[in-house]
Amino acid sequence: MSILAVDNLEVSARIGTARIPVVSGLGFTLQRGSVLGVVGESGAGKSMIGRAIAQILPQGFSVTGGLSFLGQDLIGMPAEQRRMLLGRDIAFVPQEPLSGLNPVLTIGAQIDEHLARLGIGAKRARRDYALDMLNAVRLPRPADILGKYAHQLSGGMCQRVLIAMAFASRPKLLIADEPTTALDVTTQSRIVELIRDLQRSEGTSVIFITHDLRLAADISDQVLVLYAGRLAEYGPAKEIFADAAHPYTRCLQLSNPSVHASRIGLYSLPDRMPGISALGSIAGCLFGPRCPNVIDACREKTPRAVSVGEGHDVACIRSDLTARIDPPLRQAIDKKPYGASLLTVESVSKTFSMTSGIFRRTNFQAVRNINFTLQQNEFVGIVGESGSGKSTVARLLCGLETATEGKLVLAGRDVTGGDKVSRQHQRAHIQMVFQDPQSALNPRRSVASIITQAMEAAGQATWRDRLAKAEALLHEVGLPSDAALRFPSELSGGQKQRVNIARALCRAPEILVADEIVSGLDVSVQAQLLNLLLRLRSERSFSMVLISHDLAVVRYLCDRVFVMHKGEFVEAGPTADVFDHPQHPYTESLLAAVPRDFVADAARRDRRNGISPADEIV
Amino acid sequence: MLTTIVPLIGRRLIASIFILLVVSVLLFLVLHVLPVDPAAMSMPPTATIAEIEAHRREMGMDQPLWDQYAIWLVKLLQGDLGTSIHFKRSVWGLIADALPATIELAFLSMLIATVFGIGGGLLLFASRGSYAEPAIDLVTIVLLSIPEFLWALFFILIFGVALNVLPFTGRLDADLRLPEGSNFLLLNALFSGQFAIFWNALKHMVLPCFALGIAFSPAIMRVLRSSLIDVYQDDYIHLARLRGVTETRILLGHALKNAILPTLSLMGVQFGFLFGGTLLVEVIFSYPGLGSVMVDAVRNADLPIIQAVGLAYCVVVLVINTVVDTLYLVLNPKLRAQ
Repeated sequence: MSILAVDNLEVSARIGTARIPVVSGLGFTLQRGSVLGVVGESGAGKSMIGRAIAQILPQGFSVTGGLSFLGQDLIGMPAEQRRMLLGRDIAFVPQEPLSGLNPVLTIGAQIDEHLARLGIGAKRARRDYALDMLNAVRLPRPADILGKYAHQLSGGMCQRVLIAMAFASRPKLLIADEPTTALDVTTQSRIVELIRDLQRSEGTSVIFITHDLRLAADISDQVLVLYAGRLAEYGPAKEIFADAAHPYTRCLQLSNPSVHASRIGLYSLPDRMPGISALGSIAGCLFGPRCPNVIDACREKTPRAVSVGEGHDVACIRSDLTARIDPPLRQAIDKKPYGASLLTVESVSKTFSMTSGIFRRTNFQAVRNINFTLQQNEFVGIVGESGSGKSTVARLLCGLETATEGKLVLAGRDVTGGDKVSRQHQRAHIQMVFQDPQSALNPRRSVASIITQAMEAAGQATWRDRLAKAEALLHEVGLPSDAALRFPSELSGGQKQRVNIARALCRAPEILVADEIVSGLDVSVQAQLLNLLLRLRSERSFSMVLISHDLAVVRYLCDRVFVMHKGEFVEAGPTADVFDHPQHPYTESLLAAVPRDFVADAARRDRRNGISPADEIV
Repeated sequence: MLTTIVPLIGRRLIASIFILLVVSVLLFLVLHVLPVDPAAMSMPPTATIAEIEAHRREMGMDQPLWDQYAIWLVKLLQGDLGTSIHFKRSVWGLIADALPATIELAFLSMLIATVFGIGGGLLLFASRGSYAEPAIDLVTIVLLSIPEFLWALFFILIFGVALNVLPFTGRLDADLRLPEGSNFLLLNALFSGQFAIFWNALKHMVLPCFALGIAFSPAIMRVLRSSLIDVYQDDYIHLARLRGVTETRILLGHALKNAILPTLSLMGVQFGFLFGGTLLVEVIFSYPGLGSVMVDAVRNADLPIIQAVGLAYCVVVLVINTVVDTLYLVLNPKLRAQ
């Protein structure tokens, strides 16, 4: 029996006097107990599906079309009746678990409020029920957790609490909106497993919204690929991943690096998904402007979804050519030979001492006895979960922290001491690219002024010099020169990160330290940036220390990798060796947490058989 | 919870001692470099220069300034605030009489400011996006720009003179006598069962308290409104809605508890200003509190009183700040953890 039937759903936004459809012509049915993965980049309208079902939309948005839940019309029903369904028959799991819980109420109070609403009688009974719920989501010591606040728990624990609340009423439909995006890799896989277990035992239908194609293929029965609010492809999960029929799906796959695959080049889709205001100005297929297979006919009218297999629909008139889209050759963008040794880190440790209470001091060893060297043009990766000490290593290298033990030799000079001269030396040779481009760029400064901050600090340079330098750097990172006089708020996330990289390159450093520079970006933007870094290396030669929790990104960029756990390097070596034959149990657990990878498996087979990936997937 | 509150109060007490010392030095210095001569002023106009000089020595005012400060400070620590030059009474006694009256006035005013501020803030927030919003917004801006003494004058003219429904001078009608015991008139009358006096005293406080309370409420309204708007952007509000929680419960059970935090820190600052604001209002309503004492003292250049009242204001503000910070700690679990 179908739980949810969606037919020709349209969500439109009112902009000025015009109504612009943000989601259009969407249709699918969700069977009892099945999982639908909704995939697409940010802005594709994935979250709008959940919001449309709940009819909780931003101001100025409206929904039309068919949306029926267990035969009841969700759009036409009175708001009060719909509210009764929410949290009872239709439950939600959010993206950001920490902010999904009210910071000033205890976990117990929030669960209690929900259970009271579900009509679970006495306070005592609710408490017992709450303890059972927390046990079911495998939270240790549930009685303690009831008395805690959200900030006292980890993101994974908060997500378990929210999942427990979502399943408390044994809902018919669960909508999980990127439930693991904000979590660590190992936590991610445990949360996914938990949702899947509960879903199976309760027979819940799930809409699993994610930007991660592998994850969707792994967990779902059906997958719906959205582009700019329109259906691109819909069909059985495994079939879509083995045999993507829409060029967008194929490009997404090819732009997503893999932990295990050989290092084939990543496909970088040009440009980015049109925003709401640009939707009206594209004729025909909305993916057309970025599509490698585009022809004039694509621009004439919006393609209708056609069947290409059992329950497999594609909105593309040239879907037979999709499999011909190939990734670029790795050699074209690959590295220069290594040069002399640049940086030596010898038995470096960092201990922070913190005050707790009035007089007590506790010591916390963030980094413990790490050793490594870095050669010219070499990219090395440091991987580990949050709290493993990765970022402290980055800060030590840049001279933002001083090592408590050990020795740091940079370009022939000992910079361990952290004195003024050492710091200057570090700044001249090492530049940092920060994690969050949003907060790393001063919103009140123009792009040119941000990029050439180093020239400002050195004095002398005139504004004309700085502008010329900024334009040259913008050109290098693939941004138009007119971006120089714009402000960060006028740029997209990917463009901001390019500015961030350009700023680090301004002093022509020999080493870049990059802390999670692609996390939180869409795969297509991520692929653009990763390829940009490889191209920049071949053009201007520099080394990089890449700090990341994303193993696939590290595999793609770095020849050597260090696995960090509780402040120590537990495993080190060539990336391919470490990831293909992990020796340390921690490395194994990190790798086991990565969703299985259909495309990579295929690619590996191809390599062995000596044929190009495109031929086999057809 | 106690483990974080006790150290906070401890730290505050230590800091307060230093603050009070600095304030006492400032008060003493400023008052002593002023071109007034308390010795001369406290003598009858017929006194000779020699008599004034003798009196000056008697008051210790021929000593070097630092010695005078040291003597004053030592006496202060012994609980001796000196003797009023004008009233020839112990300053301690004067303050003990006047301070409770001012504290009652300030607390009642703050209560009114809080009720109006939070109520108005909720109303402002609830009206967002409606056609009434700009109108309500305009009203609060007008309210915000009227100072307390102007409200006082309006109220006297409207309710005191024109309608003649409420008294507007003193703490009690002339035919009633102050009850024995503490000068916290309302509490005293209430607990000793003198309800006629309680009622009469309350009526005397209506106009001054509303004048102060209404003047200080618009700022609270506007901060509460804007922090509610911020809080409504948060995920947990959205998620509560997706869980089917009613809008009323979201506002009162989830959003208000978070939005009250920034409002509370503003109220701490406001209460300090409000306490200062009692001075003018007391004078306008001839209310026998600290403000009235202060104004008399300034008029007579009664240095011991000015110094002591200045310090008293300072102590009250420090106490209020400590109370607000403690409350903040109680209401914000995130701070408690650190």
